[in-house]
Amino acid sequence: MNILDFFNLTLPSTTDIESTVTSDNNFFGTISPRDVFIFFVGIIVAYILGLVISHHIRVRMSHRLKKDQLDILTGIIRAVLMIIAIGISLPGLLDLSITILLLGLVAIITIIGLSSQKVISNMIAGLALLYESPFATGDFISTGAVSGTVVSIRLFSVRIRTTDGIYIHIPNDQIYSTTVSNNHANVARRFVYTVGIRYQDDVKKAEEIIEKILDNYTFVLKNPAPAVFVSDITPDSVVLMIRAWFPSNWKLTQDDISLSTAILPRIKDALEAAGIEIPYAQRVVWFANQPTLPADIVSKQQ
Amino acid sequence: MGFSYADPDIRIQLTDKAGLVKYERDCAGKKESRYLSRTFSAIHIHPVEPVNLPEALTHFLEISFPSLLISPGAEQTIYLKFPVEIGVFLESGDKTDPLDVFSLVPVKFSLYGSPSSGVITRWYQSDLYTDIPLIDLRREGVMSLLIKNSGSETMTVSRAVFDSGSMCLFYGDRVAMTATMEILSPLIAHTTFSDIAPEDCPNRAIDLYLTRGFSITNRKGYFMEAGTI
Repeated sequence: MNILDFFNLTLPSTTDIESTVTSDNNFFGTISPRDVFIFFVGIIVAYILGLVISHHIRVRMSHRLKKDQLDILTGIIRAVLMIIAIGISLPGLLDLSITILLLGLVAIITIIGLSSQKVISNMIAGLALLYESPFATGDFISTGAVSGTVVSIRLFSVRIRTTDGIYIHIPNDQIYSTTVSNNHANVARRFVYTVGIRYQDDVKKAEEIIEKILDNYTFVLKNPAPAVFVSDITPDSVVLMIRAWFPSNWKLTQDDISLSTAILPRIKDALEAAGIEIPYAQRVVWFANQPTLPADIVSKQQ
Repeated sequence: MGFSYADPDIRIQLTDKAGLVKYERDCAGKKESRYLSRTFSAIHIHPVEPVNLPEALTHFLEISFPSLLISPGAEQTIYLKFPVEIGVFLESGDKTDPLDVFSLVPVKFSLYGSPSSGVITRWYQSDLYTDIPLIDLRREGVMSLLIKNSGSETMTVSRAVFDSGSMCLFYGDRVAMTATMEILSPLIAHTTFSDIAPEDCPNRAIDLYLTRGFSITNRKGYFMEAGTI
């Protein structure tokens, strides 16, 4: 008994194989040059149509949609056109019925989905990010331990350039599931600074000096008005809190450091010019049993 | 080619330098200098929409003025001052390109509306006039503002916000704009500009926005949706 008898199988004859290949019910049928021509023409037409539609969308909607949204929208339109073209021309080329094609497509998607769940979750998170638009290209964002300017938003990832010039690639599902702070989401941002002055300094005068600097500074918004007030009295100083609003799209409000370096030195210089000093941390120490200095040291000090 | 203008605050000079033209400007100590090719045929210097300095942060102009009460159905024309920015344009064939913008007036920005839905504006404080006030035309222009109260309540108006995309700026003996504010409800007013030149300001300024290649998205004015106070 050979192995085929064991499994109760019989090999088809050569005639059977030939009839299967040439049958109308086969999977691949015969491919004529006409079918190949139609297939490639369909693909080329879909490609050109995609380019034309994308161009028109960019021209007509560039002032309404951001660049990232335009890129994704045109990309989706082109992909859909290409899928439609393949869907129409491929059955003719391979002599497949639509049902078989769809079944094949479902099988492929299932296999891809099972084997690459992370990729799919990134893609879905990417679509969610595009729909919700929590940030756009050029915005300065902070997410997790990363802060930087958004360089691009893609279907699977977001690319960020930090203030150090480092390129960071963050998968979309990661960015979608964490807290994101966007410095540019609103048209204006409030910055808060604190400045300490000595106890003997005139608080009212210090407030007026700072208010004048803020009033003369072009980018401090007139409304909401800036505020300067005593926020704390610490052992070392009287603390003045400064609250001021700035336009979010101004280059120095992209990160906190740039603005601090523009504002705080002016305040320090103006206060010092008016004789108001920012004190050092200091302690007056009293001894319970004050030691007596030797007479020769006292005479030297005198 | 040579050109020169000088007054105590502004100095503009065009001089030939080794086959090129050197443009130099000094406006109250703020200097600008650059070389130009000799391909342009004319230079235009005139006021432009006052929303370009110190950088293009906004295209809205907000003018604050003393409060004015206006009864339902009433119309009132007032005159306001607005800041002037001076543009320098180069003409080459049928194309006009901006070269420089400067101003003698300090710039201040403000927020109209809330931080999430409002707009950043170039802010200017003006007094309220019932006749055309005297001005230094290098620093200020005069806006004739017709305020119409189409609502059913007496309204207080102390500020007006304008979209520079709809501005029509004219110059001659003075710098002028003619605008209308229609109050539609306690929170909403619509501001528009007239494109008819005043008699003493026959020249229409080139729209800086257009020469920079921006598309005008709003020629129909601006809806103030955060009130008029």
